[in-house]
Amino acid sequence: MKSTAEIQEKSINKIDLKWRFIHWRSAILYLLPSIILFSVFLFYPLGKTLYLSFFLTDQQGNANVFVGLENFQYILQAESFHKSIKATILFVLYTVPTGVIISLFLALLANEKIRGVGIFRTIYSSTMGISVAASAVVWLFIFHPSMGILNQLITSIGGTSIDWLLHPDWALVSVSITTIWMNIGFSFLILLGGLQNIDDHLYESAKISGASYFYQLRRITIPMLSPTLFFVITVSLINAFQTFGQVDILTQGGPSESTNLIVYSIYREAFVNYQFGTASAQSIFLFICILIVTILQFKFGERKVHYQ
Amino acid sequence: MKKLLLLFLTVCLLVFISACSNDAEGEEPEEDTSGEEQQTDDSSENEDTNEEATDEKVEAVFWHAMSGGGQESIEAIVDNFNQSQDQYTIIPEFQGSYEEALTKFRSVGGTEDAPAIIQTFEVGTKYMIDSGFIEPVQSFIDQEGYDINQLEENILNYYTVDDQLYSMPFNSSTPVMLYNKDAFEEAGLDPENPPQTFEEIKEAAEKLTVKDGDNTERYGFSILNYGWFIEELIATQGGLFVNNDNGRSEEATEAVFNGEEGLRVFQLIDEMNKAGTYGNFGSNWDDIRAAFQTENTAMYLDSSAGVAGTVENAPFEVGVAYIPYSEEAERNGVIIGGASLWMSNGIEEEKQQAAWEFMKFLQTPESQAKWHIDTGYFAINPAAYDEEIVQERWEEFPQLKVTVDQLQETKPSYATQGALISVFPEARQQVVTAMENVLQGTDPQEALDQAAEETNRVMEQANRANE
Repeated sequence: MKSTAEIQEKSINKIDLKWRFIHWRSAILYLLPSIILFSVFLFYPLGKTLYLSFFLTDQQGNANVFVGLENFQYILQAESFHKSIKATILFVLYTVPTGVIISLFLALLANEKIRGVGIFRTIYSSTMGISVAASAVVWLFIFHPSMGILNQLITSIGGTSIDWLLHPDWALVSVSITTIWMNIGFSFLILLGGLQNIDDHLYESAKISGASYFYQLRRITIPMLSPTLFFVITVSLINAFQTFGQVDILTQGGPSESTNLIVYSIYREAFVNYQFGTASAQSIFLFICILIVTILQFKFGERKVHYQ
Repeated sequence: MKKLLLLFLTVCLLVFISACSNDAEGEEPEEDTSGEEQQTDDSSENEDTNEEATDEKVEAVFWHAMSGGGQESIEAIVDNFNQSQDQYTIIPEFQGSYEEALTKFRSVGGTEDAPAIIQTFEVGTKYMIDSGFIEPVQSFIDQEGYDINQLEENILNYYTVDDQLYSMPFNSSTPVMLYNKDAFEEAGLDPENPPQTFEEIKEAAEKLTVKDGDNTERYGFSILNYGWFIEELIATQGGLFVNNDNGRSEEATEAVFNGEEGLRVFQLIDEMNKAGTYGNFGSNWDDIRAAFQTENTAMYLDSSAGVAGTVENAPFEVGVAYIPYSEEAERNGVIIGGASLWMSNGIEEEKQQAAWEFMKFLQTPESQAKWHIDTGYFAINPAAYDEEIVQERWEEFPQLKVTVDQLQETKPSYATQGALISVFPEARQQVVTAMENVLQGTDPQEALDQAAEETNRVMEQANRANE
């Protein structure tokens, strides 16, 4: 009796294993397309970047002198990289909160049920349809030192003209304004979608109990919108860290490196100076920064998010 | 939730569509050029049928970085070459800016896919020599006994390293000072006698500056925030940019642009900036040109290749002068800028031969005359200046001649030969940052030292990596 039980158990184990393998195999099969794509476009470049960050590269871009952590040591003590970090942090602080608040405000306006609101929705989300390059060029002309409409406006009402892109203090502000303007379309659209998803019954009940508009906003709209808000903030944050196009077109990182954001600095190291080692070290640094910020956000930010 | 999902999907779709349309836009120029290739191919086919007996032609690809008028001119010259003989066909391909073309060349250099000819800017010279991807044109010159003396000496000097001419000069330009003659008259200055030294610039700028309350309506003088101009202003005083004779006698190891010559330039900028007579219009060529056209600045430095366009477009009389020098030094002249044509190695020999024939064709007075009047770049072959079309053009724009005179009066020396360093783009960036710092009030010497130190570091790193 005992032996038959044992045999049974064994065979069950065997079958179990077999099924497990089959499950595993089909799981892998389903995952294969994304595994392949991720490996080619993400994991391999990531590995290669890490590898390059430990080397000096020659004129052909081959890694030929192993220097260990020297590239990292250098970027951490280099003044210009400190400036890049500072500029990036400032840039994130300038663009993300302002952009999200303006988009939220516009989304709330466009969520009202009035006639012709479709026109406004289209206008507010229209910046999404314009490429980074095109909008940056438009702003380049707005900020233009001698023909820019912004300075003409200011001087016509009696103010002093401002060196928008030529003064280190203003350049980052100007790039931020451009970025906020460009990102509003996307954030607006997502937030509007979130607002339309909120159940009308909640507002009806609130109205019956006589809650004011702002009370409704604080107690119903914002909590119900929090998953969408969380998504928008995360995406804008990552986007802000990775800003490149507007900087390249508006300021090329200048003046006095005041708009030399980390991604732009990486680009310049790699493709102007051909120092792939330093550029890779900076990329790894940026990767770690974004990783930390995103983890922190999920840890602390998500607590406040209310899922229905 | 469904609605949100739907929205998100449409967003994704939109992004996807816009990405696609961007791609399509990106492809357009390529399609254009391929269309043009088609045309040139067609025309060559026609020729084939006309002449019947010829063997198959050798095709050689020519990468260039000329857009706009330059591209039109270059394609016309290539067309002339393809029609002029029936052995070779040159296929011109636009590859974006100098930097972009060079980046692409890095990935195909030394392989069979490399173009037979690539146009590379002057600061890429050292890189190209060290890359091992190129065949010095000197080998063809020696083989054939080609008479190089017919070409402009001051231009050849730049591209001659260790007594070897590595690349064929093609589009060369130098800096000049452009000034507003009407503004000169208005300010009581002699429009035919522009300022020549730093002191004179300072005095003239004082008179030319027009203020309206806090706003400056017109600045006296401006320089583009671009390293090339600083290099030129140092060289014209006889100063070097890096040690070991500008890296010409031995590998450069240290930046010396923070010496007295460089300091004089930075002090000039600093003093004028503090006096409010120096206009800062950033680092974009179009911006400073627009500032001059709209009379926001009365004098500025520009490339000789920009003279014709500016003279034509300005609503006032434009004067062209030599670049200024310090009264504490002598005038040495200018370093040439622009680009030259390099020949790949590792490709078939007959393609190299095609490239060489084309380079020779380019240096004929007829091609050079066309190139000079179309673009304002110098004629590498001075005989081109005697061509009728050039003489006519000079009569129309006497300002163009000034640029040629300045180049021909240049005294050959290590200073005016220009620096030879592989990390030139980075060095330039450092100088620009220093310039911007000075405009924000940093001490000139301190700003220069910082830039020199940073340049030394990258030079040392590059030397280490390439040992």
